[in-house]
Amino acid sequence: MAEANDPLRIEYLPPVDGLAVVRQATPAGSGSFSATYVGPAGWGFDERGAEGAARLVNQLVTSAAGPYDRVALARRLDRAGATLSRQCAPESSEVTVWGPADAWEKLLELLALVVQRPRFDPEDVGRARRQMVERQLREAAQPAQRAELELLRGIFPPGHPYRGTGLGSARSLAKLSRESLVRFHRDHYTSGGGLLVVTAPARGEAVRRAARRCFRSFEGPRGPTLQLARGRGTRGGVRTFDLRGRSQVELRLGGPSIARRDPVFPAAFLANEILGGRPLLSRLFQRVRERGGLAYHASSDLEAMRFGGYWLAQAGTGADRWKRVVAMLDSELRRIREVSPTSQEVDLVRESAIGEIPLSLETTAEAHELAVDAAYHELPEDHWRTWPSTLRSVRPAAVRDAAREALGATGMVTVVVGPLGAA
Amino acid sequence: MRSPRVPRPPTRGFSLDNGLRVLLAPDGRSPTASVWVWYRVGSRNEHPGITGASHWVEHMLFEGSPRYAKGEIDRAVVRVGGELNAFTDADFTAYFSTVPREHLGVPLDIESDRMTRALITDEEVARERTVIFSEREGNENWPEFRVEEELYQLAFREHPYRWDPLGRREDIERMSAEQLREYYRRFYGTRNALLVVAGGFDPGAVASEVRRRFGPLPEGGEDVTVRVTEPPARGERRAELSGPGTTPYLQLGFHAPALGDPETPATIVLDAILGGETRLFSAGSGWGRSAEHPSSRLYQALVDRGLAVRATSDWRPRSYPGLFTVQAQAAAGVSLDRLEGAIVRLLDRFAREGPRPAEMEEARTKVRRAAVLAYEGASRTGFRLGFFSTLRSPRFEDEIFASILRVTGREVRTRARELFRPETRVVVRYRPTGEANGG
Repeated sequence: MAEANDPLRIEYLPPVDGLAVVRQATPAGSGSFSATYVGPAGWGFDERGAEGAARLVNQLVTSAAGPYDRVALARRLDRAGATLSRQCAPESSEVTVWGPADAWEKLLELLALVVQRPRFDPEDVGRARRQMVERQLREAAQPAQRAELELLRGIFPPGHPYRGTGLGSARSLAKLSRESLVRFHRDHYTSGGGLLVVTAPARGEAVRRAARRCFRSFEGPRGPTLQLARGRGTRGGVRTFDLRGRSQVELRLGGPSIARRDPVFPAAFLANEILGGRPLLSRLFQRVRERGGLAYHASSDLEAMRFGGYWLAQAGTGADRWKRVVAMLDSELRRIREVSPTSQEVDLVRESAIGEIPLSLETTAEAHELAVDAAYHELPEDHWRTWPSTLRSVRPAAVRDAAREALGATGMVTVVVGPLGAA
Repeated sequence: MRSPRVPRPPTRGFSLDNGLRVLLAPDGRSPTASVWVWYRVGSRNEHPGITGASHWVEHMLFEGSPRYAKGEIDRAVVRVGGELNAFTDADFTAYFSTVPREHLGVPLDIESDRMTRALITDEEVARERTVIFSEREGNENWPEFRVEEELYQLAFREHPYRWDPLGRREDIERMSAEQLREYYRRFYGTRNALLVVAGGFDPGAVASEVRRRFGPLPEGGEDVTVRVTEPPARGERRAELSGPGTTPYLQLGFHAPALGDPETPATIVLDAILGGETRLFSAGSGWGRSAEHPSSRLYQALVDRGLAVRATSDWRPRSYPGLFTVQAQAAAGVSLDRLEGAIVRLLDRFAREGPRPAEMEEARTKVRRAAVLAYEGASRTGFRLGFFSTLRSPRFEDEIFASILRVTGREVRTRARELFRPETRVVVRYRPTGEANGG
């Protein structure tokens, strides 16, 4: 029974009409509840010429559903003290409900309603489209967002689901009719290929009963599978974009990487943490900010998804300093690939990563993120329980080898965006 | 009838002989412990020449003290899986560390060491100067930051709320290490600090630990009352900025009450009705204001009608009278004049007619429901307890919560009439120039 109350374990329940259902206990003392539907509805599924559909649908799903127009839905959430949030990614889209634990069954009903019966009211479609146009402009004009977009364009070939950020273009948005959005929803917010993760103060059987009741009419074909285009991105090497009138230059170095279930992932995770992923301790933070005084932020990320991934190292700095900072990022990348870190450095970062697990149990929302992550990647039920021992089995040489593979130089792109003329 | 109260863990408060105030909020079920130190110093304590000093000192408190050489504070907390950070506001500076509960001694030791003994060397100040510039430049990349900075500069001619806590560029360029050390010596210390510990710990043992570590510190730290009062505005003030951006953007500002003023509960309800939420009590993530609120007045008048893609209001809790702002980002093709006209008409109408009864009920419901889970987790508990205690008192949260729930529609209308007067309005508009986007 102790295991049933352990928020670091997930429980795979029998599927409901093809919908995978996962249950997690709430952390001790928490009074809230979270549930997330994850569907094969990311922007990687946008048809060519119709880019932006996945993001628009994801936004509209949380706007209005069933008997609730957008105002009524907002009031319904306010009355419950609950929130609905959404996330769209290349491979999938998520919708999450959060609220008081004592209302978890009612809130699960609400999640089921918005996922299954969004309204796509014409005025909502128009509003969401206008908001997306502004986000497209922002992505072009704002150095940090532009740098991320250009990095992805540089790494991945045309047609690859990871190549963009899903916002599409003014032309593609204009082509999206209400009917095409309804069709996207029908084909991608499905039970087959979908996942429901519930973090609630309830046993597995109660969660499954509630899931069956709420999602009983949820039908649809087995969700589609992503097709990954092969080849290289737009162009390797250094790509610069002179955006005048801004104050800071944004730098991104990145390349293709591994999938989350790749056996090398634990060692690659540590390599990234040592390089720039672990706040304050990482080499990039220490060298660029603490010793160099050259930037406010310097870090790295490893985006390991279901079918593949990418890595990036990043910093924001002054127009007169960006070349020095790029050289620093580059040299730290070479070092992590070529030289094994010391066992002390690996220990420090590893124990930090292990030690922070209790911090994820402060609130239900934080614990829930762990469950969604493990369930989406179909990791073992005790993944987060065994994660410490997995990390402790990684040797320093394996960290270096993983860095070569997961933070590799092959296909690496450098993107520089900002007021370059001011240098 | 008993006044409604915000559900929160029981707390125990005491003071040390050197003046340090301590609040303990134990929760035996929590796997973490969160340590917060709040200093009653912020950009309100600065003056031209040293604007940004509070924020810079905050950075320097991570750069070394007698027991922790540069980088060791970060290392000590992060190596046990903890997280730490700090933030500087106009009215306060707060430092926090949340750690697995068995490591509570680590942040207690750090905070006791740097409360009075931060080193702030010339060398580290010089290095940090470019980091501070970089932080500011990162913000300047966003038109929203530039507009807000200009808005406060226009609205306040005397009061130190005039400048942003990041400080002015020219002051960051010139400020010396000695000026920062002097600032630190004046404002940091036991008399001007509040220590909050929340989460999983034994209160008796931690009280002893706090006395042992913080008791020997010398008495010090000045809580300075800002004597400057902002003269009443006589006429609208406005400015227009231009630069790279997406669509036109604007902010309107109106002089608004301080947190403890009697008009504040009605101002908070006004904020909830116009913008859809209030900073003090909002469901979900805590203090931020990121969600869309389709039931709010501004959203319906501007976003639903195709004039804007985002629109909200914001009243920030401040020790002294601050600003109530309205912000909107135009939809593509909508001019600044049209957007501003629509906002002004909405505010005028609201001031004439006041809220509908259903809107009042919705605002109360939002606040009441958001309060239920406001204290989930040790970190959020440390934040809320420290915030209310630093700006007012530990009991103040309950007082204002009850007051908000008692506000009437008539009071909200009166508040809107007093607030939205054209002669005290401040407007800053941002016109995107269509700069080449480097494509």
